[in-house]
Amino acid sequence: MRPTTERQPLSLRQRLILALMTPLVIILAASSIFDFQLAKRTANRAHDQALADNVYDLAAHLKRQLPSRDLDLTEEAEAMLRSNAPDMLYFSVTDAFGKVLAGDADLPSQPFPKNDQIEFADGQYRGHVVRIASHRISGYGQDFQIVVLETTEKRQQASVRILTAMIVPNLAVVLATLLAVIFGVRQGLLPLHAVERDIAGRSANDLHEIDMAGTPAEVRPMLGRLNELFSLVRESVEIQQRFIADAAHQLRTPLAGLQTQLDLASAEGAFKESPERYRALDEASTRLGHLLSQLLTYAQAETSGSQIERFEAVDLGMLVEDSASLFLDAALARSIDLGFDISPARTRGFPWMLREALSNLIDNALRYSPEGGTVTVHCGAEQGQAYLGVEDSGSGIPEEHVRHVFERFYRIPGSPGHGCGLGLAIVQEIAELHGARVTFPPSLLGGLHVRIVFPSAS
Amino acid sequence: MRILIVEDDRLVAQGLKEGLQQLGYTCDVAHSAEDADVCVSGEEFDVALVDIALPRADGLSFIRQLRSRGNPLPALILTACGSMDDTVRGLDAGADDYMIKPYRLPEVAARIRALIRRSNAIADACLCHDGVCLDTRSHTATLNGAELDLTNREWAILEMLLMASPAVVSKDKLVQRLAGWDKDITPNAIEVHLSRLRQKLSSGSIVIRTVRGIGYRVDAPNN
Repeated sequence: MRPTTERQPLSLRQRLILALMTPLVIILAASSIFDFQLAKRTANRAHDQALADNVYDLAAHLKRQLPSRDLDLTEEAEAMLRSNAPDMLYFSVTDAFGKVLAGDADLPSQPFPKNDQIEFADGQYRGHVVRIASHRISGYGQDFQIVVLETTEKRQQASVRILTAMIVPNLAVVLATLLAVIFGVRQGLLPLHAVERDIAGRSANDLHEIDMAGTPAEVRPMLGRLNELFSLVRESVEIQQRFIADAAHQLRTPLAGLQTQLDLASAEGAFKESPERYRALDEASTRLGHLLSQLLTYAQAETSGSQIERFEAVDLGMLVEDSASLFLDAALARSIDLGFDISPARTRGFPWMLREALSNLIDNALRYSPEGGTVTVHCGAEQGQAYLGVEDSGSGIPEEHVRHVFERFYRIPGSPGHGCGLGLAIVQEIAELHGARVTFPPSLLGGLHVRIVFPSAS
Repeated sequence: MRILIVEDDRLVAQGLKEGLQQLGYTCDVAHSAEDADVCVSGEEFDVALVDIALPRADGLSFIRQLRSRGNPLPALILTACGSMDDTVRGLDAGADDYMIKPYRLPEVAARIRALIRRSNAIADACLCHDGVCLDTRSHTATLNGAELDLTNREWAILEMLLMASPAVVSKDKLVQRLAGWDKDITPNAIEVHLSRLRQKLSSGSIVIRTVRGIGYRVDAPNN
């Protein structure tokens, strides 16, 4: 075994899901990013506004203090200004020359505002990311700059809140879309599955047309071609079957004539001098007749096709009972005890074929059992599966030959009798046609036990 | 006993005719269904051997016509068509039995004897087999000419076995038959009746064989 497995091409369903889901996920992700940015900007603006309010408060306070040029804030006022949990607020007031008049002396210097508008900027201070507001006020012919810094804790919290508020519904939307796509694709492909099941469920011999009613337009041309092919094969099978029937008649009739003449010649004493010659002729013509029947049965079973709609209910018990009359004399001729073990068993199939299969099993068992041996024919049901079986007290099949016994014309080397090697091949062919298995359970009689196990009725 | 052979193959027809003549039957040969029709409308036969594949009208249509005219002539189909499907169609058409070619003469003769026995049983109400005779009209049985005293149940069993011979009759079928007298008859009771019947028939050559797991059968007569 190679360590790497060959990559399977994607199934139609996988392709559809992939082709639908990829753009959908990209679109959803892009729109989420856009929404997030928009929401963040709106939140920022609100925070900037709050920061601006602080600046204006400070400015108003300063304007009142300016005449005294004593800009010290009362502790109370400063505490109020700085109380901005969870964020820290820093401020400074400088004159036009950059001299710090009040507040924190180490604030990063900001360009002096050109007009009365508050200018905002981002920056770093004492290792924090900060938002900076810078404002110009005038008084006594002088310009002052107020700078207020705010850490961005509140803003970050807001971002996280916005992100959480957006991710949950967006994920839900993605999930719902995914489910909808999978469900939709599955629904859409249901008719294809029905076609697939119809084709996959057939036996190799089943040549009836695929029912196109209800199949999607996309696969109809393909099914149409397939049905044309089926009908072509069916026709050729019918021709073959007619040929077989004709050949049967053409071969069997002269053979019947030959055997009758042989019997007549013998009765008239033609072989009085050489009875062994008669036996040889008789044996050869009997073998020829047997081979002919076997060949024709095999060919018919092989070309009959599993036309399940033509199957009939078959009572296996009746089948076995009928076989008793057919084989009793052959068994008595070799002093074989032919017995039956009949339990109720029903299945569906072609009665004549099942009869052929059973006949072949019994015929085989009688051929390969020693004189005075025992053959038992079984039928019954086990775990809902009907079976038909024949067991003998012969020598069985050696392990190394078991896998060959279903081959046409295979005879176990050195086996007695005049079998043509088609018996088990016919049994196997007929079993396959009925969806049944051929098994070899252990034999209580010590010989071969062959069983045809039918599919359960459900 | 007169037999009509309906067969287009001359070799086969001739062989059958000679073989059956050696067994003491009188035989007529018709090479087509039309010829056969002419034969049966003018003459009396005991059995017809009919090939299915004939030129023009086939053997099945001949048998169908025979039955539509109410002629009960026992018909044995000798077919070369392999599948059992054909034989089923043959029996549906009104044939009494079938054989698939190639066949052997002794086998054909045995089937003919069985057909004649059955048709005689219906016509003469007399069922004879290997020295045993059941007269269903007078309800008397004889074994090699001597009167045989049978109970109703023994009679019914023997009648069923003789009618079916050489086919096997299942114990179930015998139980069903006897259920008319004995609602609760068991397979064991059948065995008791049979052993008594065998005792009563022990001086004759008739053999009632037990078939393990199914039932019984009367062997074909040894002649």
